[in-house]
Amino acid sequence: MTRLQRSRALRWLCTLAAAVALLIILFPVYAIIVGSFESTETLFSGTFYWLPHAATLDNYRTVLGGGSGSTQATVAGSQSGHILTSLIVGLGTVLLALVVAVPAAYALSKYRLRVTVILVSSLLVAQIVPSIVLATSLFIVFHWIHLLNSYPALIIADGTYAIPFAILVLRAFFFSLPNELMYAARVDGASEWQTFRLIVIPLARSAVITVAIFAFLAGWGDFIFALTILNGSGIEPVTLGIYSYLGNYSTDWGAVMASGAVAMVPAALMLVLAQRYIATGLTAGSVKG
Amino acid sequence: MHSDEALSKSSPPRLSAWRKQQLAGWLFLTPAIVYLLFSFALPIVYNVMLSFERTSPATIAHFTAPFAGLANYRFVLHDPTSRAAIVHTLEFTVGSLLGQFVIGFALALLFSLRFPGRTFARSLVIVPWLLPLIVTGVMFRFLFQAEGGAVNQLLRNVGLAHHSVQWLNDPHLALWTILVANIWLGVPFFTLLLYSALQDVPVEVKEAAIIDGAGPWQTLRLVIVPIILPVIEVTLLLGFVFTVKVFDLVIGLTGGGPANSTQLITTWSYNLSFQVFSFGEGAALNNVLLVAALFCAPLYLLLSRDSLRRSSGAGT
Repeated sequence: MTRLQRSRALRWLCTLAAAVALLIILFPVYAIIVGSFESTETLFSGTFYWLPHAATLDNYRTVLGGGSGSTQATVAGSQSGHILTSLIVGLGTVLLALVVAVPAAYALSKYRLRVTVILVSSLLVAQIVPSIVLATSLFIVFHWIHLLNSYPALIIADGTYAIPFAILVLRAFFFSLPNELMYAARVDGASEWQTFRLIVIPLARSAVITVAIFAFLAGWGDFIFALTILNGSGIEPVTLGIYSYLGNYSTDWGAVMASGAVAMVPAALMLVLAQRYIATGLTAGSVKG
Repeated sequence: MHSDEALSKSSPPRLSAWRKQQLAGWLFLTPAIVYLLFSFALPIVYNVMLSFERTSPATIAHFTAPFAGLANYRFVLHDPTSRAAIVHTLEFTVGSLLGQFVIGFALALLFSLRFPGRTFARSLVIVPWLLPLIVTGVMFRFLFQAEGGAVNQLLRNVGLAHHSVQWLNDPHLALWTILVANIWLGVPFFTLLLYSALQDVPVEVKEAAIIDGAGPWQTLRLVIVPIILPVIEVTLLLGFVFTVKVFDLVIGLTGGGPANSTQLITTWSYNLSFQVFSFGEGAALNNVLLVAALFCAPLYLLLSRDSLRRSSGAGT
């Protein structure tokens, strides 16, 4: 074999290795999608089908239907209301994260304030705090101020995933904006708020999108706060809906698969539509913090 | 004379501009400070308070409960399930970090080579990272089912197992199963961070090592790893922090069972607080977890010191 042939063979070997790795990484996702189209009989047959066996939309009818699943052998609630709830929670988390994080990140990067070091250190430490610690206390605090079982309570709790991360990512971004921009605006007579509102925010668009995507996925995918703060109320996001299908002795696999697939939709959309924001967000938040 | 006049004229507005900017800075920070106090500082302090109180379902309404001394901590140290949960968390964390780092580093090295399809492959690696954790949990519950699960089906098809392996129902196996699921979950994070660190290693350094006669293994061990060591440290640190927090995944996969064999600190604390309403005991267990997690904090701050010190100060 010549040298060229050998290096070409090596390259294809790398492709093969990457393909095997991807197969393992993506297979569970594939399995849940295929499973979501299988009938209850197939799912309970005790055999795993690598390819779609007898495709049906029954599970989706159960999960997305308006509650008229009278044809279903297994009784399962509809998830359509839960999807709306999850959307509200996700968007609420985005809104809260942006309102809190964008001005804070700006102040922490472009103003000389005494608290900067303390506050940035607290944000780094805040990312370390386990959610169960917060959930236990927040449950009682919300109970005490009569906010349990409400959207604001859940959104405030979900902000704990998004806000420290958002401030750190945005702060790293604001460092890249030249200070001359702010000087020029001030010379032109703009107030601090006008400078922020009219010059800084428009320039920060890409970083804001990155942060918004992660805040949405955090609110959409949250389970622990929904489980603790929304105990047995009308509000129920998709993640709780999936959990309620998991019985102790029998699991309604069809409904679990279909609602699992539905719960993956935002992530899939983001991956297709906002690929570059996701990659920057993942690396920026943790190392360059 | 003239310059004096100019000075006295320009000084007062300068001072007020500085004040104005300080005020603006503080106003921009206010929502964040309020949020951090309410959602982090208050719960952490309150959790410490709870851990010293004798709580009951009735005391929840009152915000405070009678002082209990160290009773809750004594309970945590003697309760066999709490102790088991601490041990499981330790095993789970060490195993996860080991698996995630080795596989993640291997994939990062793979992706830094040139081969057809590498950009495409790299963009798909992050998929597990984006899914709701409870979905990942039920996904693996489906795959690891004893009857009709893909894993057992595969083992049977290739002739490695003749009976159904009880991945989720055998107390000796279940912890391994959640470990595998968590490694799957964490690999993308390790791959991505280590990959971007590898990209930052200057080409000249690698070339110099090759010219000096170093083989690939030597180049990696003696040249590349020392350069990216800070990133490796941060990645392991964050990996640790993510792993001790794991909750959804285990609830979706095993719910802590069978026979509490996959009970972690997080899941058992949930159980104590929200299933049997012993908030004091749950809070005490929480504090064990918090201390373990915050153990990393000084190290994390040290590794992030450049970012901490940084201040471009557009203010005067």
